[in-house]
Amino acid sequence: MIKVAGLTKRFGSFVAVDSLNLDIPRGEIFGFLGPNGAGKTTTVKMIAGLLRPSAGSVQVAGLDVHARTLEAKKRMGLVPDEPFVYPKLTGVEFMRFVGDLYGVPLQTQARRIPELLEMFELRPWGGELAESYSHGMRQKLVLAANLLHEPEVLILDEPLVGLDPKSARLVKDIFKELSRRGRTLFMCTHVLEIAERLCDRVGIMISGRLVALDTLEALRFGREGERLEDIFLSLTGGQQYSGLLKYL
Amino acid sequence: MRLLAVLLERKARCGFNSLRELTPWEWARNAAFAAAGFFMLMGLHHGFLRLLRFLDGVPLIGPLLIWKLTAVALLSTFSMVALSSVLISLTTLFYSFDLPFLMKAPLPEPVVFAEKSLESAFFSSWMLLLVLLPFLFALGEVRGLPWTFYAAFGWLWIPFALLAASIGMGFTLALMRLFPSSRTRDALWLLSSLSLAGVYVLLRLSEPERLARPDILQRVADYLRYLQAPTAPALPSWWLALALQSFDGVRPSGAAIFWGQSALLTGSAATVYAGLLWIAGKTYGEAYSGAQESARSGRSQEVLPTPESRLAARLSSWGLIDGQQALRFAASFWKDRRTFFRDVRHWSQMALVLALMAVYLFSVRNLPLDTPDLKNLVAFLNIAVAGFVISSLGLRFTFPAISMEGRAFWVTRCSPQGLGALMAGKFLFHWIPMVLLSMTLIVVSNRLLRADPFISWLSAGTVFVMTATLCGMGVGFGALFPRFNTTNIHQIESSAGGFVYMAAAIGYIALTIALEVLPVQMHFQQRFGISRGWDAAALGLCALGLLLLNAAAFLGPWLLGRRHLEHYEEK
Repeated sequence: MIKVAGLTKRFGSFVAVDSLNLDIPRGEIFGFLGPNGAGKTTTVKMIAGLLRPSAGSVQVAGLDVHARTLEAKKRMGLVPDEPFVYPKLTGVEFMRFVGDLYGVPLQTQARRIPELLEMFELRPWGGELAESYSHGMRQKLVLAANLLHEPEVLILDEPLVGLDPKSARLVKDIFKELSRRGRTLFMCTHVLEIAERLCDRVGIMISGRLVALDTLEALRFGREGERLEDIFLSLTGGQQYSGLLKYL
Repeated sequence: MRLLAVLLERKARCGFNSLRELTPWEWARNAAFAAAGFFMLMGLHHGFLRLLRFLDGVPLIGPLLIWKLTAVALLSTFSMVALSSVLISLTTLFYSFDLPFLMKAPLPEPVVFAEKSLESAFFSSWMLLLVLLPFLFALGEVRGLPWTFYAAFGWLWIPFALLAASIGMGFTLALMRLFPSSRTRDALWLLSSLSLAGVYVLLRLSEPERLARPDILQRVADYLRYLQAPTAPALPSWWLALALQSFDGVRPSGAAIFWGQSALLTGSAATVYAGLLWIAGKTYGEAYSGAQESARSGRSQEVLPTPESRLAARLSSWGLIDGQQALRFAASFWKDRRTFFRDVRHWSQMALVLALMAVYLFSVRNLPLDTPDLKNLVAFLNIAVAGFVISSLGLRFTFPAISMEGRAFWVTRCSPQGLGALMAGKFLFHWIPMVLLSMTLIVVSNRLLRADPFISWLSAGTVFVMTATLCGMGVGFGALFPRFNTTNIHQIESSAGGFVYMAAAIGYIALTIALEVLPVQMHFQQRFGISRGWDAAALGLCALGLLLLNAAAFLGPWLLGRRHLEHYEEK
């Protein structure tokens, strides 16, 4: 469903993403991990068609994202790391706007918008301006809006940040159900526990290069009993910072 | 006091760091801004100098006239500072971006209030001071006042501005404490804007230019006693006027008056400000807390067709436009309409635009023009004035339109709506009201001036096209210089992009007028009976020139802006 081949992005002499290759099948939840500044967000932007690659290509649902951008965008949904919405639109109006942008028929919107708001427990707030929403409510609104056009691929950048435990559990269940229904989820996260519980495969990126790509079981091979966090830190060199604690 | 000093020092450091981080381009841009501002102030000074010299030359009552005018100017300044303070303190005292941090810190609330109130007082008064300075320098020059006059003004301005700003801040604080809701904030904002617009219209309707006309001045002489009487003696503007007047020797015992009035002004400012701080100590915390609450609006949750989507569906059913594209376009237009009219900052601007229109037409009506030819000439030159009004409104409304997408820009950026469609939606949304306004201005002006049919049609047609081009330029330059992280419209319009847009707009207007001079000259030659007829070739060249100019002025920034937005994520 998502095919990334030789994807490279350079900013001047700095290589943010270096020859990335990925092939994510339909229905998979793929976790994309890496330390800050590893090139994850740059990759997400290239997959979502927001940033042109210096080399390589991205295909979503068989469409070249940079050649047939608008068609590819119709089949995708993007949940950014910060859920900025129009403060002067109500929740319902925001969803209505997104629905129209994605060409969702009005009858479908009239049925789906209340359902989605209900599912994310936003129904009582649907008529309120988004400026009065908390961070978590905005996050849920953006998630709901992204499900309105039933995208084949959902790109999620830290989708659970700011959600209360109940909402986080709900969202995780929704992701699993979407995967079961054949939707593909590409998820960037720093919360390794989420990646461990949700993702079918994970990719770990460091300094623009993919250093690991496999199922959790395969990554754990020979290191039984270790958590994803340990594997992640051994790959990214996180242990070296333990000496810094003396400054506390 | 120590904590206040810490807060003020951070402000100074931020300012210093901003200066240190300026790029050469930003230095050049700021220098250009400063130079343009300086020349404007010099122009004002020149105008004031001429007016005051003329008034000074009026036998017997010259000095009285001058000081009456000064008292009126100070009274207006005092009122404007107080009104501005109502508007500005609402943001600085309750919605400033750093307030959540400051209120969380272990700082006493009166300290936070003191810092924010000084900021409000500064921002409410600095621009009015800039406008007042050319007047005072002209006054000092005409009346031959010593350097101590300027020093005294420099010192007394501080209590004067602080006192006026304290009144505004006290009003805001009281309202926010009594009615702590967003509705109050909106109502307060609107009321203040309407008051400002009202003051602006009233000032213009009072026809201040009549003071400079000798025939009116004879009537002024009849009011000699009125001139000698104090102007609002209970207000600090009169105290400041008296203190300044003491340097002129118009009244006896100048030194005593100066020290008396200075003490009155400084003491009152200190008392009122101290009182404000005391009240703030008791009420600011609760008022701030209340201001963070949003009133529940309970808008409809029904998903119904919008007027825009209905129109789009109708047009696409007639085969005029592509259905899906039309629906997206309609959605953008609807979203812009909703967000625009719900933003109370725009209501206040609309009130000021209506005031501007009234003043514009009133000024045209009052132009002292005697002959039909002069009226026609003015009607032609009125194209430039109307163009300037449209470009100024464009700077306020059209240019920030793309930036006002703000951090929610990702919504349209990720959607299947192209950036061209987004820009076209912004264009249409601003062009429709702008063309209605500009056509009203030009058609009514032409009627008031009794312009002949040729000039009327030429000016109406030009302004119609000019509005479209200036709106296109606004959207294009707005896309070329977007500021998605800035929520303050004033920062967007006073950015480098705003400066470039205004410079390009003024250049475009000047070129338009230059290209139309030839046909207008032929028309006047015909009126005067000295023409050999219309030169078709020259007219054709002018028309071609106008076509090319408008195409370049519209498409140039538009295409550059669109390309810039497409590559925005690269930045």
